[in-house]
Amino acid sequence: MAVAPNVSLTLSNQPENVLLVRETLSGLAETVGVDGVELNDIRTAVTEACNNVVLHAYEGGEGPLQVELYVAPSAVEVVVRDRGTGIRPHIRSEEEDALGIGLSIIQALAPRVEFKDVEGGGTEVRMEFSTPGTESLAPLAEGGFEPPRVAEASLATTTGLALAPSELAGRVLPRVMCVLAARARFTTDRISDAELLADALVSRGFQSGAQQHMTLSVQVGAREVELRLGPLGGGDAGKLMANTDAGIGPVVEKLTDERRIASEGAFEMLELTMRDKR
Amino acid sequence: MTVTEMAVSTATRGARFVPGTSEEQQLFARHQQGDRLAREELVRRFMPLARSLARRYDRSSEPFEDLLQVASLGLLKALDRFDPEMGHPFASFAVPTILGEMRRHFRDAGWSVHVPRGSQERALKVRDAQERLANERGRAPTVQELAQYLELGQDDVIDALQAIQAYESLSLDAPRPGATDEATSYGDAMGEEDARYELVELDATVSAVLGRIPQRERQILRMRFVEDLTQTEIAARVGISQMQVSRLLRRSLDQLRALTDTKS
Repeated sequence: MAVAPNVSLTLSNQPENVLLVRETLSGLAETVGVDGVELNDIRTAVTEACNNVVLHAYEGGEGPLQVELYVAPSAVEVVVRDRGTGIRPHIRSEEEDALGIGLSIIQALAPRVEFKDVEGGGTEVRMEFSTPGTESLAPLAEGGFEPPRVAEASLATTTGLALAPSELAGRVLPRVMCVLAARARFTTDRISDAELLADALVSRGFQSGAQQHMTLSVQVGAREVELRLGPLGGGDAGKLMANTDAGIGPVVEKLTDERRIASEGAFEMLELTMRDKR
Repeated sequence: MTVTEMAVSTATRGARFVPGTSEEQQLFARHQQGDRLAREELVRRFMPLARSLARRYDRSSEPFEDLLQVASLGLLKALDRFDPEMGHPFASFAVPTILGEMRRHFRDAGWSVHVPRGSQERALKVRDAQERLANERGRAPTVQELAQYLELGQDDVIDALQAIQAYESLSLDAPRPGATDEATSYGDAMGEEDARYELVELDATVSAVLGRIPQRERQILRMRFVEDLTQTEIAARVGISQMQVSRLLRRSLDQLRALTDTKS
């Protein structure tokens, strides 16, 4: 498998994030043409692995759930990682049966499964699914790749994601925005607007700067979604927001309530806020 | 880093659905000798496993009753083929057998067609409920309100919203009953040229390509981005569903961007 994934998600282990992972998988499957029984196998096994992190990794508490998706020739690989106590201590309990079935399901559906300890604590489940006919996609980064960073304190409300290439991002980001806008209790009107915004960002976001991939963090509040895109090169956020061939300014202006360009050292962050003011 | 294959087998042994008790071992032994009562008792005991797998194996695509039926059939096969002498726990044998049965069912049902029947029906329900609630309340509903109204999970509603986005079928595009033909008259009244002129505001570069977008799409773009109408308001004017407005907006913005790309 490639060194860097095609999608990387940094989430909290809240139960509603399992849906976000499932929608991301659907977007990826649509991009590479995996459907039917194969897609169902992947969704079911990955749901089990995520549910395990939701229910058992942090002993009732909260912590990070990290998911990476890789597309290779004739295979899709999914990595589900936590930083908690994970599977291993849990299996010592003879009473709890849920995980027992969960692991049996993962093993029955994924031709290759690997469980690893994560350095510094945590567990990693690596599942490889056979998807005849898929071709590999350009990964997020050629060299080393850092998963999108979200401060531990804001993890409960913030989703970090990195995506590449643009075709894949175009299928995944609108779905992710739909889930997050629904979580912010947007009406279906504004949910559709969030999807339109995602389309616009993907269509031009990859053209700005030397971005190999798109890194976003999305914070969900009450009837409010705040999106941070970056890091972009100096001046690139402005170009993205311009009313030119390469810009999406007018559309974004109609769809969002606030727009800011923030500097972060030599880089820029594009910050967009959407509200539902019904 | 260690691969904890052993841990996994411990996990299955730790599961509840294991013939750990001598009582279950006896049941399996009697079942193997053809005791129908023992078989019935085993079915009763392990039905929760089949039910739990049916619930987990893609919740959203098929009616649960159908899945449960197939899972139960898988459980019967597993019970009949299981050999307790091998020393493995029943669950580790039953889970792949039941899942195998469900996968075969999906393959036979030609399930690789894009949207399964269950999802299609649900998508239609969600679309209709969206319109009804929007009419009642004068604004579009939230996913939470749709879920409550339809007694569905929020996940199911979101799945349905995505399925609707994916549809190209005419049944979804057909005008709703009671819809006026305002869209057509609307376009006539305001004049095509005006619509085109105002839309240029939306994107400085689109004027050259705007003519290549169908008239109805141009009108919808104008209503959303020049007149600032909500999608629900547009849906009411044009006589299609809000979901359809959403899809047309996405498609036409996409076309505009593609056209300006080729132009430059």
